[in-house]
Amino acid sequence: MNMADKSLTQEQQRLQLLAREFTAKHIIPVAAEYDKSGEFPLFIVEEATKAGLICNAVPVEYGGAGYDSVSQAAIVEEWAYGCAGFATTLGGNGLSCYPLLIAGTDEQKKLYFSRIVAGGLGGFALTEPGAGSDAGAVATTAKLEGDEWVLNGTKCFATSCGYASIMIIFASTNPSLGVKGLSAFIVEKERPGLVVGAVEHKLGIRSSNTVELLLKNVRIPKTYLLGKEGEGMKIAMKTLDMARPMVASQGVGIARRALDEAIKFAKSQLDVNGKPLAANQSVAFKLADMAIQTEAAKQLVRNCLRLKDAGLPYTKEAAMAKTFATDTGMRVAAEAMEIMGAYGYSQDSVVEKLVRDAKIQQIYEGTNQIQRLVISGILLKD
Amino acid sequence: MSYTLTEEQQLIQQTAREFAQEYVVPSVAECDKTGVHPGEVVNKMAEYDFLGLYLPGEYGGAEAGYLSYILTVEELAKVSGAVAAILVNHASAAAYAVSRWGSDAQKKSWLTAMAKGDALGGVAGLEPGAAPGAGADRVVAVREGDTYNLTGMKTYVANGGAADVYIVFAVTNPEAGAKGLSAFIVDAKAAGLKVNRLIGKMGLRGCQWAELVFDNVKVPAAGLLGGEGAGAAMLAEIQAVTGVAEGAIVVGIAQAAMEDAAKYGKQRIQFGRPITSFPAIQTMLADMAANIHLTRLAVYHAADLVDKGEKFAVEAAMIRLFAGRIGASALIDVIQIEGGYGYSEEMAASRFYRDVQGAILKNSSADFPEKTIVAEVLA
Repeated sequence: MNMADKSLTQEQQRLQLLAREFTAKHIIPVAAEYDKSGEFPLFIVEEATKAGLICNAVPVEYGGAGYDSVSQAAIVEEWAYGCAGFATTLGGNGLSCYPLLIAGTDEQKKLYFSRIVAGGLGGFALTEPGAGSDAGAVATTAKLEGDEWVLNGTKCFATSCGYASIMIIFASTNPSLGVKGLSAFIVEKERPGLVVGAVEHKLGIRSSNTVELLLKNVRIPKTYLLGKEGEGMKIAMKTLDMARPMVASQGVGIARRALDEAIKFAKSQLDVNGKPLAANQSVAFKLADMAIQTEAAKQLVRNCLRLKDAGLPYTKEAAMAKTFATDTGMRVAAEAMEIMGAYGYSQDSVVEKLVRDAKIQQIYEGTNQIQRLVISGILLKD
Repeated sequence: MSYTLTEEQQLIQQTAREFAQEYVVPSVAECDKTGVHPGEVVNKMAEYDFLGLYLPGEYGGAEAGYLSYILTVEELAKVSGAVAAILVNHASAAAYAVSRWGSDAQKKSWLTAMAKGDALGGVAGLEPGAAPGAGADRVVAVREGDTYNLTGMKTYVANGGAADVYIVFAVTNPEAGAKGLSAFIVDAKAAGLKVNRLIGKMGLRGCQWAELVFDNVKVPAAGLLGGEGAGAAMLAEIQAVTGVAEGAIVVGIAQAAMEDAAKYGKQRIQFGRPITSFPAIQTMLADMAANIHLTRLAVYHAADLVDKGEKFAVEAAMIRLFAGRIGASALIDVIQIEGGYGYSEEMAASRFYRDVQGAILKNSSADFPEKTIVAEVLA
């Protein structure tokens, strides 16, 4: 439990252990309670801010931690070990910062990051009722009126947006151009006309805040456009490239937790002869398989992020890591439940929650079908 | 055998389908939310003879056959896995035991009540931390004259707290290991028998799970079912016959979920076309349709063996090995097709997902269906 991964650098190991302690202290003891109530754990944002774990993606010159990607992923993995709902809330902050890193001006970064550094939450609103996998179908519009953009439309499944202080919202500046008319904007929560709509009640990650956002004549300064008009899709895709290894890390965290719970159970549960379940080879080998998959997923994530941190292309690797690691989270959680039988299905065990939580990573930040589209597209290009 | 259903079987299937729509649908949301045993639905099932559907007419049953009963379970599961599970834990587990191993007197009193729906049954086999009879908290039965004195704890007892009668597996010979296990018919109102707590679970909410504590519960010697030391073999057979019905629960849930996903997918337009026009989605639907169909055939076949009085242990073990996995895999794909909407509680998929995972639980320590199957392979 308290061993850092020796394949990480000293600094990465330090952060891994810091996040592990943070998770043990602030997440694990309350995760079941928040899962049950579906309440938003605002306190965790404060605690993470205090612990120096909130603005991991924000560069040092803007007051952030500016951790390398491998460290960021290791931190997300620890959070998800404790609770994928909490990891979604804390990790969502990173996601919302990426568009600024990709396309933000110095002024825009200052505006956005100052709120994050102060402990405010960031949001990212791309999906709409008619635009899920097909992000190009976004119907929210932005029209320039004098020195202001005026936004109108409806967003859905927006993570943390009921509590976000500032967010990135995608809207079409030229609907006739389809995907090429999509643009990205910075919007503060206090802008008139921005209303939080219905809250989604979900199968898992229940403490994560998922809302509908209604935009009615929301006016923002002209300077809040990220990049150029029509660059929205490009920014969104690059953002998702960066976010996918983090979602993959949630899958790794869930798989690690499921494996640990299954091991604990197999060592303590006695069979008819009074021997531990783990003494049965069919169970022990299943544990081995779960460990192999978990380790492979973790290394796939880290390999992809080492490419990214070295400035090399990593789109394909990010999609592979996301798909494999989230499928692994799902599979290992389900296998833990199979080993644990009635106990695993009961709420006395965390495993039933893992099985509920593990399903969402296969869906968000681009479904695993979209990932396969990205991967096969690259494979078949030449 | 022919998988063409007889007219009577088709009628029973149709009745169950209509029953589920009329009497089960209205209770589903509340039941899932509160986890409380839906007494009214169960009473209604009794009126329709579901509780004794395959049990002998001599003892108040409808004697319609195990396959007819399986068809009923499947139809109920399409609407509520919990209601189907209540029926299965009563009929395939508790009532089966009395019907199979009970004396005439035991059948006259208990089986008749169970078949008519005057007494709901449950089986108390599992114990915390160990296989039945192997753990520190196991229930031990000590004979004192004409009574057995039961002390210990049982857990994950389905229909726990709702049942009127339990089939309790207790150790009568602590030295004999698994061979020292015996079954008792125990009145839920017996002095010293306490529902310690209800156990929250992922799904199938409404089919209550309870922890039962036995504090010197006195059971008349006439309550011993099937003889001292016969418990382990009885437990294995109950698990098998219940497994066939649990397979029907998986089939029902997965079928209903697949139909939901197909309906959603046909209406969901992305990239200018319904998502069901994409081969990636079609592949998922084709896989689940094939898995559901093959499992259903295996379930009907095993039910037919039960009806014919032939051996069914291997077929049941195959269902228990395979069906749980195909159910979980189907629901993982159903939610994938329905995306964020499927993950939200607004759609039925999220409940089907939680329910299907619990339809077949291999209770690990004692229970490897692989063992039964491989014994046949190596024979």
